[in-house]
Amino acid sequence: MRSASAALALFFAATILLFSLSAPRFASASTVENLMSGFSFVAILAMGQAFPILVRGIDLSIGAIVGLVGMIVFDLSLILHVPGYLILPLALFAGALAGALNGVLVVHLRLQPFIATLATLAAYRGLTYAISGRQLVPGLTTTPIRDPWLTGIETYFDVGRWLGLSRLVNMPWVPLSFVIMLAVFAVLQVLLTSTRFGRDIYATGGNHEAARLAGIRVNGVIITAYALAGLCAAIAALIMVARFTTATEALGAGMELTAIAAAVIGGVSLAGGVGAMFGPALGAFLLGAILIGLTLQGVPQFVQQIITGAILLAAVGYDRLLSVRRQRRLSAPSTAAT
Amino acid sequence: MSERGLSLPAALSGHVVQNALPVAVAVIIAIFALTEPAFLSTDNLVGIARQVAIIGIMAVCMTFVIMTGGVDLSVGPVLALAGLAAFYSLDAGFPLPVVILAGLSVGAVVGLANGLIVAFLQLPPIIVTLAMLSMVRGTALIVGGPEQHLIRNEPGYSFIGTGSMMGLPVSVYIFAAVAVFMILVQRRTPLGLLVAAIGDNERAARLSGHRTRLTKTLVYVICGLGAALAGIIQSSQVHTALATYGPFGTELDVIAAVVLGGTSIMGGNGSIARTLLGVFFLGILNNGMNILNVPIDIQLIAKGAIIVAALAIAARRG
Repeated sequence: MRSASAALALFFAATILLFSLSAPRFASASTVENLMSGFSFVAILAMGQAFPILVRGIDLSIGAIVGLVGMIVFDLSLILHVPGYLILPLALFAGALAGALNGVLVVHLRLQPFIATLATLAAYRGLTYAISGRQLVPGLTTTPIRDPWLTGIETYFDVGRWLGLSRLVNMPWVPLSFVIMLAVFAVLQVLLTSTRFGRDIYATGGNHEAARLAGIRVNGVIITAYALAGLCAAIAALIMVARFTTATEALGAGMELTAIAAAVIGGVSLAGGVGAMFGPALGAFLLGAILIGLTLQGVPQFVQQIITGAILLAAVGYDRLLSVRRQRRLSAPSTAAT
Repeated sequence: MSERGLSLPAALSGHVVQNALPVAVAVIIAIFALTEPAFLSTDNLVGIARQVAIIGIMAVCMTFVIMTGGVDLSVGPVLALAGLAAFYSLDAGFPLPVVILAGLSVGAVVGLANGLIVAFLQLPPIIVTLAMLSMVRGTALIVGGPEQHLIRNEPGYSFIGTGSMMGLPVSVYIFAAVAVFMILVQRRTPLGLLVAAIGDNERAARLSGHRTRLTKTLVYVICGLGAALAGIIQSSQVHTALATYGPFGTELDVIAAVVLGGTSIMGGNGSIARTLLGVFFLGILNNGMNILNVPIDIQLIAKGAIIVAALAIAARRG
């Protein structure tokens, strides 16, 4: 696991170096700013997605949850005129609830995660259309959300000036979304590595049956894992709504695949039980750096899709290589003993 | 886990579960027929068959992939690229058989790549085909660009999607032919047995000396061919080839049809014939809700809820 993170960090550094040398204007403050503001919410989604994958599941519905939460925020703010400090907790609760429902379907109806979240993908997106304030009150389609509690998420800090570095180099402004991402990372990482819940997650992902026999409440752990994915989707939705000052029915569509890709690139094994938060977050920024770099190099967007796919294949191939080695190491002593 | 008694209620519920899908199809037909008589008109029934042909061909061809514990998310862009390949070979003046072969070869190549990577490198199918989805879509956009390519004055090619014989659209005949062929493959050929054996226990199948990797590669090729055929039919139907056909969500509709037919996404049991039931179940549901003017949001929610309900009932079997 540690070697995978180190390899990813090395690959990230190499990518940055390569683009800095080859792409015009890549090594600049604005690139760093674009990366932080454009991919922090992707990193949050990827960290959330890691939890279902850690317990051997998957959540295809997080893009739809982003859309649903975005529309809830839109309705609460523009139609019901609920103040922003109430909308924030309500939005987070709605996301966690939608995620928990996925977990309930997986645990209690014994549906395959892929299928359960495929069905809720359709259902949540349908619900988004059903509650769409854009259709209920057509006049609102061009009204921006102005609540300072919501739009305040799209704030930039001139960190360079505070530190007095701006006089030396051109420092990027740090978006609040990046700070939120760091906070989410810190909380979830501590949750995973230093709490009983974290141990239960790894045990459940490693072997459901063994975890159950060891007295872990596997069902609760799995439902919580999906709820965390939903919660992260809600945070991402708030960031996106703050950026666009509005929500559309299609907000977040297809984002689940990017999040899964970032998580897998970040070393979260689809076989469950292996991975942490650093990998998925860095995986998201790696995808972002590659996209920004290719754009600056003038590579057409279509070619970027091909390259993104190839990177995903390479990442999962590398993951496979590591797990084969791990198995060999584990089985070597036992074969010697028998 | 616990031993099952053979009490009457258990046996009865087992029986109901086995036939849940045919019963469900009959029930929704009855509901739609009673609320809207136009549902049962010949025109509408033929319309349903035509609407499901494209998804149906892909679902029939994906059943084997899912039976082996895999999945193919790349069918949408393959559909688009096959249409483009057909368009460009028409443009170059090739005869119809060559045009169709060009379209199908797209599916064969992508399927072969998927299959080889999944079978020989043993990478997870969901990620491999997700990467392929991205790469094939990119290729389609490079090849075709964002603009529509009109297919005009090609009566032979247009016949595939828009022609009809004895009152039925040609695409329905093609769908039926593919379905019958695949049912025969499943029931009468070693491939059908091998697919079932791999789904049941891949390790055991390999240890018994079967060529499991070759079989797994082959099922992805079949799946790719099905998507390419669907692409040819679609481009012929709408007289247009476009790089963005088969948008995101197409593959999910196909998978839903297969899974509703009782094939487990974890592999194992499955049947092409029951996939057909799943295809028609979703097709009738869509058509009926359209006829009843159910708004799109409620349609999406209902579809999700019905899939969950159907599978939850099926899961009780295990």
